[in-house]
Amino acid sequence: MTLTVLRVDEERELALCTTEEGEKETVETALIGPVQPGDALLVHAGTALQRLEAPA
Amino acid sequence: MRFVDEFRDAELGKVLAGEILSLVEPGRHYKVMEVCGGHTHSIYKYGIDDLLPADVELVHGPGCPVCVIPMGRVDDGIAIAKTEGVTFTCFGDMMRVPGSEGSLLDAKAQGADIRMVYSPLDALRMAKRNPDRDVVFFAIGFETTAPSTALTLKRARAEGVPNFFCMCNHVTIVPPLRALLDSPDLRLDGFIGPGHVSTVVGARPFEFIPADYGRPVVISGFEPLDVLQSIQMILRQLAEGRCEVENQYKRVVPYEGNLRALEVMAEVFELRPHFEWRGLGFISQSALKLSDAYAELDAERRYEVPGVRVADPKACQCGEVLKGVIKPWECKVFGTACTPERPIGTCMVSPEGACAAYYNYGRYAREREVV
Repeated sequence: MTLTVLRVDEERELALCTTEEGEKETVETALIGPVQPGDALLVHAGTALQRLEAPA
Repeated sequence: MRFVDEFRDAELGKVLAGEILSLVEPGRHYKVMEVCGGHTHSIYKYGIDDLLPADVELVHGPGCPVCVIPMGRVDDGIAIAKTEGVTFTCFGDMMRVPGSEGSLLDAKAQGADIRMVYSPLDALRMAKRNPDRDVVFFAIGFETTAPSTALTLKRARAEGVPNFFCMCNHVTIVPPLRALLDSPDLRLDGFIGPGHVSTVVGARPFEFIPADYGRPVVISGFEPLDVLQSIQMILRQLAEGRCEVENQYKRVVPYEGNLRALEVMAEVFELRPHFEWRGLGFISQSALKLSDAYAELDAERRYEVPGVRVADPKACQCGEVLKGVIKPWECKVFGTACTPERPIGTCMVSPEGACAAYYNYGRYAREREVV
């Protein structure tokens, strides 16, 4: 699932993210390093696995 | 929608379908396996097989996490769920998977405290809010989901949550692929590689397929253009006499995977000597268990479980579907005794299961005219 970062809790390595439809979910970001609001993340079972790069 | 709309362009789809057609060698029949259940779902949802020439056949592989859980493990989970003082948590799909005497949903209806969660982190939160209950998370999935479980177990330990436990059923993708390639009853020309597993493990673990078995692999995204382009890349390799691992899903999958995820998994899990896969039997070193360092969080060490192997119902042909030997609709009970509402086999449970995907999206289109 692709989610967009809204808010970041750097210390706990968590991010509040949203789907395109506006559903919100807390996501573990420990596996991909620091994230910023607006980043698009590939999330599986509540954990971000990769940051998505815009297609060339 | 970002990262979605641009991969659903119908005009580009027609171009790719034309290129696939031009790459087909006359008189040759191609069998391409999509390993991942997510691809199976996309193929039926978007009618991708309808865009392919008749001589390009898609074979559905074993990569649906729910589908490969054997009945005995469901029975073990139910035994833990029925233990006094336990709140048992699992993903929604898992609740409907049949065990020998019903599903987790049936056990819930009989009074067991079984809750659906979206992530292991949800289960951990539940444990923190209910310190007087043991909260057990029934972990399933391939390398895509295993890092999430591993991180949650690390977090449970770091935060000193004493009542959170995990029954680990995570499996790994390479051993069943090797088993399928060694199987004499299946001749495959190439593989659509699992995109999301590859975000974690990278492309390297699949290099044995071209090296040892001479079959191309293209790691693929899940949108319709991703899947079509991956099929085109496989056919191009075959036409040009090449055989290698290619990465169509570069916007997400780095060749080396996610090293941090691999480190966390290596810390928390270790390989089981063998594990039973529904329909595929026992496969060596194909699943994960909690390492000794995390023994105190291991539900299988905390509770008595039957640990009994249970044969699938005779009418169920999920094993042959999972190996790609038969198509979903060739199963004797497909769409009659076995439906998504009342599944007999696991392939009819999850949206990623080949039978459920075909039932939901393709069952009225089978007798279509070949154009």
